[in-house]
Amino acid sequence: MKVSSIKPIALVLSRELMITVLLLLGVSLVVFTILYLSPGDPFSVLLEGQMSSEEARAGVREALGVPKAWYAQYLSWLLNMLRGDFGTSIRTGLPVLKELLRVGLNTLVLTIGSLLVTLALAVPIALYSAVRGTNKVSWPLTMFAYVVSALPVFWFGYIVIYVFMHKFGLFPLAFGASSSGKYGWLYAALPIFVLGFGNGTMSEVIRFLRDEMSRVMDEDYIRTARAKGASIWKHSFKEGFLIPVTEIIASKIPFILGGAVIVEQVFNWPGMGRMAWQAAQDRDFPVIMGIAILAAAFVRLGSLFQSIVYVAVNPRASKE
Amino acid sequence: MKTYSQISGEIGELSNLPFWKKAEAVDLAYVGYGLLIVTLVVVSYVLGAFNLLPHDPQAINLELMMAAPGTKGYPLGTDFMGRDMLSRLIVGIQAYFLPGLLAIAIALILGIVLGVLAGYRGGRFDTAITYFTNLVDSFPRLVLILLVIAAFKPDIYYIMIVVGLTNVPVVASHIKGKIHFLTQKNFVEAATALGLPTRTIILKHILWHNCRSVLIIQATLGMGEAILMETSLSYLGFGVQEPTPSWGNMVQAGANYLMQGKFWPSTAPALAILFTILGFHLLGDGLNNILEGKRGK
Amino acid sequence: MKRVLLVALLLVGVTFVLSPFAEAGSKKDGRPDGGTLNYGEYGRPATLDPITSNEMISLRITELVFNGLVGINEKQEIVPELAERWEMSKDGRTYTFFLRKDVTWHAREGEEAKPFTADDVIFTYKIMMHPKTITPLKVRYEFIDTVEKLDDYTVRFTLKRPILNALAKFSFKIIPRHGPANPLYLTREDPFVQNPIGTGPYILKNITADREIVLTANDNYFKGRPHIDKFVAKPFADQNIMTQALMFNAIDMIVLVNPRDIPEIQGDKRFVLQPYNALSYSFFGYNMRNPLLADKRVRQAFTYAVNRQEMLDSFFNGQGTIISGPFAPGSWAYNLEVQPYPFDPEKAKSLLRDAGFTPGPDGIMQKGGKKLSFTLKVPIEKESEAVKRVVLAFKNYLKNIGVDVNVAFEEWQAWKEDVFLEHDFDIVFASWVFDDSADISSLFHSAEIGPWKNNFIGYSNPEVDSLIVESKLTLDHEKRRTINRKLHAILADENPYTFLWTLTNYAAYNKKVRHVAIHPYKFFSFADEWFMAEKDQN
Repeated sequence: MKVSSIKPIALVLSRELMITVLLLLGVSLVVFTILYLSPGDPFSVLLEGQMSSEEARAGVREALGVPKAWYAQYLSWLLNMLRGDFGTSIRTGLPVLKELLRVGLNTLVLTIGSLLVTLALAVPIALYSAVRGTNKVSWPLTMFAYVVSALPVFWFGYIVIYVFMHKFGLFPLAFGASSSGKYGWLYAALPIFVLGFGNGTMSEVIRFLRDEMSRVMDEDYIRTARAKGASIWKHSFKEGFLIPVTEIIASKIPFILGGAVIVEQVFNWPGMGRMAWQAAQDRDFPVIMGIAILAAAFVRLGSLFQSIVYVAVNPRASKE
Repeated sequence: MKTYSQISGEIGELSNLPFWKKAEAVDLAYVGYGLLIVTLVVVSYVLGAFNLLPHDPQAINLELMMAAPGTKGYPLGTDFMGRDMLSRLIVGIQAYFLPGLLAIAIALILGIVLGVLAGYRGGRFDTAITYFTNLVDSFPRLVLILLVIAAFKPDIYYIMIVVGLTNVPVVASHIKGKIHFLTQKNFVEAATALGLPTRTIILKHILWHNCRSVLIIQATLGMGEAILMETSLSYLGFGVQEPTPSWGNMVQAGANYLMQGKFWPSTAPALAILFTILGFHLLGDGLNNILEGKRGK
Repeated sequence: MKRVLLVALLLVGVTFVLSPFAEAGSKKDGRPDGGTLNYGEYGRPATLDPITSNEMISLRITELVFNGLVGINEKQEIVPELAERWEMSKDGRTYTFFLRKDVTWHAREGEEAKPFTADDVIFTYKIMMHPKTITPLKVRYEFIDTVEKLDDYTVRFTLKRPILNALAKFSFKIIPRHGPANPLYLTREDPFVQNPIGTGPYILKNITADREIVLTANDNYFKGRPHIDKFVAKPFADQNIMTQALMFNAIDMIVLVNPRDIPEIQGDKRFVLQPYNALSYSFFGYNMRNPLLADKRVRQAFTYAVNRQEMLDSFFNGQGTIISGPFAPGSWAYNLEVQPYPFDPEKAKSLLRDAGFTPGPDGIMQKGGKKLSFTLKVPIEKESEAVKRVVLAFKNYLKNIGVDVNVAFEEWQAWKEDVFLEHDFDIVFASWVFDDSADISSLFHSAEIGPWKNNFIGYSNPEVDSLIVESKLTLDHEKRRTINRKLHAILADENPYTFLWTLTNYAAYNKKVRHVAIHPYKFFSFADEWFMAEKDQN
C-alpha cells in the first residue's frame, strides 16, 4: 500500500466510526422498543415454577430496583453501557459482556469460517463463468451451487450428521472437538461447512460476482489491455475482484449470523445464536441488547473493512 | 454536450430487436423452468380452491400415521398425524406465495422510493436514507424476526414484512448507485433538457431501462429467501403454525424422524423447496440475461 | 427447557424410618468406585443453587450437590439426612432437629473444609425468606414462624400452626453460611449461584465453555463416597440430536426421553429404559367466563367426545394413565372409584342437544345464533410434536360432534399473558406438575381467580371452596383423604377441565450404569448408590 493512501483511509475510518456509533445507538433503541412492546416480562423468568401473584411480580421489580418508566430503563442501560457495563443476564445473573465475548468468539469462528467456505466455492465458479461464459464446466458447477443454496439448512445439517454417523462412524457435534483427539478438527469443521453450503447465499454471491466481473471485463481499459495481450487478471483484480468480494462479504454477514442460530442448535455449537434464541424467549433484555450491539458492531466491522478496501483501491473516493 | 440518444446508446439502453430474438436457448429454458414453477403455484391454488386434492390436507387419520410412500391411496405416505403428504405438499406452497409477494413488494417499492429519493434529491434525504439502510443492515435477520415474533405473534405475514424490510437497503443502494452513475454521465441533465417530465425519466429511463435487472433479481431472490426463512423459523417452532401446511413445517416435522432412518417425510418437502427456489433463481438469471443481452460475447 | 406449570407442594410420605449411619469414606458395599457418567439435558440451567433456581435441570444438579435436613428414600419414606434425629412437640407446633456432627462443606480451592452446623440451617432459612431473595420456595415455608439455635448441632423450628406432614417439608436444601457473597439475601448475580458448594455426594468442579457442568465425587460424603467418580451434564439444543448422542455413546443417560424416541431405544439392547412416575397431568381447561362453556353439559360433552385412550396409544405408545379428576394418580388423594368418562360421541351429542344446541347450516352446533366455535390457545415449544398431536386430535374429535375449534399457537410469554393475565382464551391445553402431591386449592378455589393466579379458568363453586378449606384445616390424614376424594368426585362431574392423563416418564441409560434408582421429581436423589462395573469405567 502506498503512503499516499494512508491518509484517505484514516479519513474514512474516522467517518465510519462516527456512523457506527450513531448506528449502534439506533439499533439499541429499535431493539429496546420492540422488547418493550412485546408481551411478557423479562423478570417473569425468575418467577417461573412458582405460584406468582401480581404482588410477587411487583416485588421482583422492587427487589431488583428496576426503574418503572421505559425511558428510564433505556437510559440507565445506555449510561451503563457507555461505561462498558452491559449489565448482567436476568436469567443467569452472569455479566453479559463476559459471556458474550466468550460465545461471540465461537460464533465469529463459525460465521467467518462459513463465509470463507462460501467464497472458496463461489469465487472460482464466478470467475470462471465471467471469463469463459457458460460452458460444460461452469454450468454444472453453477447449478450445483444454486441447488446447495436452496437447501433448508437444518435439514441439510441432519442429513450430514446422519451420513457421518452411519457411514463413517463419527458423531460430529461441536462438543466432541475437545474430547476426541484424532478427528477433533472434523467436529468443528462440519458445522462450518454446513453453514457455508447451506446459508442460502451461495447463488446470490455467484451471480453478483459473475456480473460484476463481466462488467469490469467489458470496461474499455480491460478491453485495451486484452487487445495488447497484457494480463487481464492484473488489471481487473481490483475492480472486478477485490471490491465486489468485500462488498458481498459485508452485505452477507447479517444473513449468515441468522443462519448461525440454526446451525448452532443442530450441532450443539456454543455460540451467540443459541444464546440469542434463549434470551429472546426469556425477554432477557440485557442479553438481547448486548447481542444486538455486538452483532451490529460485527456487521459494521464488515462494512468498515469494505470501505477501507474501496478507498485503498480508489483513494479519490474518500472525498465523496 | 452529448445528446440524449447518444448517451442512451452508450449505456446500452437502445435496441431495435425484440429481446426474445436475441435470447439464447439456455436462458429461455431457465425462464421456461421458472415459469413452470410459477404455473405450479397457480395450479396449487386452483386445486386447493376447487377441492381437487387426493385428500383433505388437514384430515387426520390416527390409524395410519407415518405411512411409507406408496401406501395405497397415499403415494407420498402420511405425516405424524396420518395426513396425506401429497395433498399437504400441493397446498404447502400457498403458505409462501402471497406472503412472499408481499415481502418482494415491500422490498421493491420502499427500495425504489428511497433509492430514487436519495439519488435524485441527495443532500439530507441521502444522509437520512443511508442511515436508515445501514441501520436495517446492521441487524442479524433471524434475530430481528425472532424479536418481532415475540412482540407480535408467529404469523407468516409479520415474518415477511421483516424479510421485505431487510431487503430494502439492497434495492435502494442499487438504484441510488445507478442514478449517481447516470448523473455523472449527464444522462439526467440531457433528458431534462429534452423536456422529458421527471416522472418519465425516473420510471421509464432510470427504473425500466437501467434498473430492471436488479429489480428482477431482487424479486426472484426474495421469494427464495422468504421460503428459506420460514423453513428456518419452522425449525425453531415459529414458522407457519399447524394445522396449516407449509413446506417448512413439513420438513421440520419430518426431520424428527430422519435420524430413525425415515427420510421421505422430510425429503419430499425439502425437494419441493429446492426445486422451487431453483426455479425462481433461474427465472431471475434467465430474465436478466435476456433483457440485458448479456450472453454471446 | 421443558416448560411446565408448577403447583406447590403437599406431601406423600407419612412413615419415618431411621436408618443406621454410614461412616464417611468408602461405602463398603462391595460395589466398585470409578467411571464417568455423561448425561444429556435439553437446555442449560440458569443457576445451580437450590434457592434461586426454578428449573428442573437445576433441581437435578442441586440434588447432587446439596442435602436437606431430612430426605426421602426410594419407598417415599422420610429418612434422616443432615439431621440424625428429630422431635416433634405434642401440639405439632415445634420441631427440634439434632444435626449430624460429621458433615463438612465441600472445600473451596485452597481452603479448609468447614464443618456443617446449626448456623447454616438458620442462615439458609433466613436468606430464603428475605424479601429481596426471589425464590419459588418462599411461599412454601410461610408456615414456619421462627427458628432458633439451641446449640451448635440443634435447631428448633416453631410453626405458625400445625400442618399435616410438616416433617417432609424440611427436605429443603441447606446452603453454607460462608457460601453467598451477600449474607442477607441471594440474587442471581451472587457468584454462589453459579459456583455453589454443598454437603452432597458430588462437588461442582467447573462449568466448561459450553456450560457442561462437571461434578466430581465427594470423598468425604457423610453417607460414604459415591461410586461414580464424575457426573457431567451436557446441554443439548435439539432433542433428536440428544437421542442420537445416546445411541452413539456420546452420552450415557437421558433424564427424560421424548416419547417419539422410545421405540428406537427400546429396540436397542445396549440401553435400559427406566420408567418413573411424574406427579403431573395434562388437561384441556375451559374458560368459565365464556357463557357457552359455563354450561356443565357442554364441558361434559367435550370430554365424552375425546378418545383419550386412542391418543395415549397413538402418541405416547400407551405409556401413561388416563385420569378422572384433579389429582395426580400417584397421590393418596386420588379417588379410584371415580371412573374416567368413556369415549362416547353419541352421549356427547345428546348432551349438547339437552343443552339446547342444534346443528346449524354449516354443521356446527348452535343455540340462538351462538355457535359452538372456540379458540384453543397452545404455547409453542420448539420440540412439541406431542403437543401438536394432542391439540390437533382434540380439534378433530370435537369436529365430529359439531364443535369448531380454532387452534392458536402462541409464543410462551404471550400465551402466559393471554391465559394468566388477560384471560383471553376459550380453551387451553397445559399440564400441571406437582412437586409432591395433592394441593389443588390454587387451581379451583374461587379466591384464586385473578391476574397471574392459577385458577385462570375462573372456576367458582362454593361447595368446592369449602371442601378445599376444610381439607387444609384437617390434620387427620384419613379425614383429609375422605374430603379430597369427595372433591375429586365433584370436580370430575363438574368437569372444569377435561382431565387427560399422567404420562410415564422414561429415563434412558447405557447398561453400564448399574443399580439405578430414580426419584420421580428430583431424579438424582439416589445417585450416590449408582455404579459402573470396572470393565465399563474407561
